[in-house]
Amino acid sequence: MSTQHAPAGLEPGSFRDPESRVFYAGDDVFRALSPDGLSDFEALEATGLLDGERVVPTERADGSANVAGFLVHEPAAILRHERIPFVSYPYEWTFSMLKDAALLQLDLLLAALEHDMVLKDSTPYNVQFKGAHPTFVDVGSFERLREGEPWVGYRQFCMLYLYPLLLQSAKDVPFQPWLRGSIDGIRPSEIRPLMNFRDRFRKGVFTNVILHAKLEARYADKPQQVKDEVKRVFKKELFVANVRKMRKLVQRLDWNPPQGVWTAYGERNSYTDDDARRKDEFVREVAKSREWKLVWDIGANNGRYSRIAAEGAKTVIAVDADQGPVELLYRDLREEGNEQILPLTMNLADPSPGLGWRGLERKSMPDRGKPDLVLALALVHHVAISANVPVKEFIDWLASLGSALVIEFPTREDPMVKKLLAPKRDGLHPDYELDYFERTLKEAFEVERSERLESGTRVLYFARPKR
Amino acid sequence: MTTVLAYLDPGSGSMILQIIAGGVAAVAVTAKLYWNRLLKFLHIKKDEPETPEADQARSTDAA
Repeated sequence: MSTQHAPAGLEPGSFRDPESRVFYAGDDVFRALSPDGLSDFEALEATGLLDGERVVPTERADGSANVAGFLVHEPAAILRHERIPFVSYPYEWTFSMLKDAALLQLDLLLAALEHDMVLKDSTPYNVQFKGAHPTFVDVGSFERLREGEPWVGYRQFCMLYLYPLLLQSAKDVPFQPWLRGSIDGIRPSEIRPLMNFRDRFRKGVFTNVILHAKLEARYADKPQQVKDEVKRVFKKELFVANVRKMRKLVQRLDWNPPQGVWTAYGERNSYTDDDARRKDEFVREVAKSREWKLVWDIGANNGRYSRIAAEGAKTVIAVDADQGPVELLYRDLREEGNEQILPLTMNLADPSPGLGWRGLERKSMPDRGKPDLVLALALVHHVAISANVPVKEFIDWLASLGSALVIEFPTREDPMVKKLLAPKRDGLHPDYELDYFERTLKEAFEVERSERLESGTRVLYFARPKR
Repeated sequence: MTTVLAYLDPGSGSMILQIIAGGVAAVAVTAKLYWNRLLKFLHIKKDEPETPEADQARSTDAA
């Protein structure tokens, strides 16, 4: 008999598809399947699509948990999935990450179609990144193709993949706030007014935006007639042709960070060579002092310290508010085949909240897995001065994560701090002082080591939480 | 006949669009097929097997 894990916890973000539901037991990720869901899974197994690197490793685990009541129909099977080290969302990805997820989605759909199967939806929330490697996690999305069925996920693909990519590629408007603002993405009627006369001639815009929005308005109140007509004329060849066309279109979409970002990516400002070397060593020593499971490098910029941290850690999350350097970091990591460092873009002063139904479908970062080490290098002055977060508030937040900390404090004499303070009224930010910072840090943390860098304007600390 | 069942609303306009967009593709495939035949007839191009895709795309009748 197999072991029973109890109690099993349902994933609050997995309820839209009635045929399958994700739940957790212990450290494992499971999926309960309905009888129909099981038939689809068996068909999927026979295609060999599960054997590659594109879909999350999955095995049958029937009887390993009590799943009664998880689905409307009595569950017929249980699957176990390999756990993704850290869950991330499309509104934390850079342009190329969303594009790669879109291409993975389309490639899997084309491969499935060869076996008379389809993906029943097209949401980027079904893709997760292991480092820079996109993995499709919703095995329950594969189903057998029904005759006369169009690409059901086409509209969702437009709303959550194509339009966000188009917005950034054609308009240079970051898509992340739009995806964070709406869990279903951008509607055809919403992207339509953003396209000007010239944009109509961009590849794919006329069909997928202008015509799409027009047809949606015209046929909104005739769902039954449309369904019957579509079933009469729709052929698998049309389906395949449409998906191929979409793949070509997505492949052509492009976005590049501004020139300044490229220049800054290779070097880091306001450090003498000796400072950089000593800072590297400080971080390396901490990284190698033990086996860290999850490191958050907040304010990661070009990922220099994420890479050093990765020398002694299993998984590193490299977060920065600026999409530019994160995009370049992702491209490099992708090139290297790195599955250890996950680059994300997010503003720490306005972090990802809980979203969706009950505010639980998408979680805040700490709710997705607390780190055991945080790197906050060249960051506190941005948070305290640019975002006006009191120094004590910032330290308290770091302490609430319960993790060890490497933090760098640039003093008021530091050129970067001077630059941030320059536009502000004299006497503002009285809490931004080395003495006050140290006192506050020592209230919440046990400081194990500190080092003043050669230039004298930057101090590094390694601290452990008191609680 | 099975009905189209999906937990996701495919959107009426979105379905019509796929027929129009796909229809354009089907016409293109058919045109290419006849173009190739013409080239072959004129001995400009050598024989090569026809793609099954093109044959199927020509028939637009309902199942």
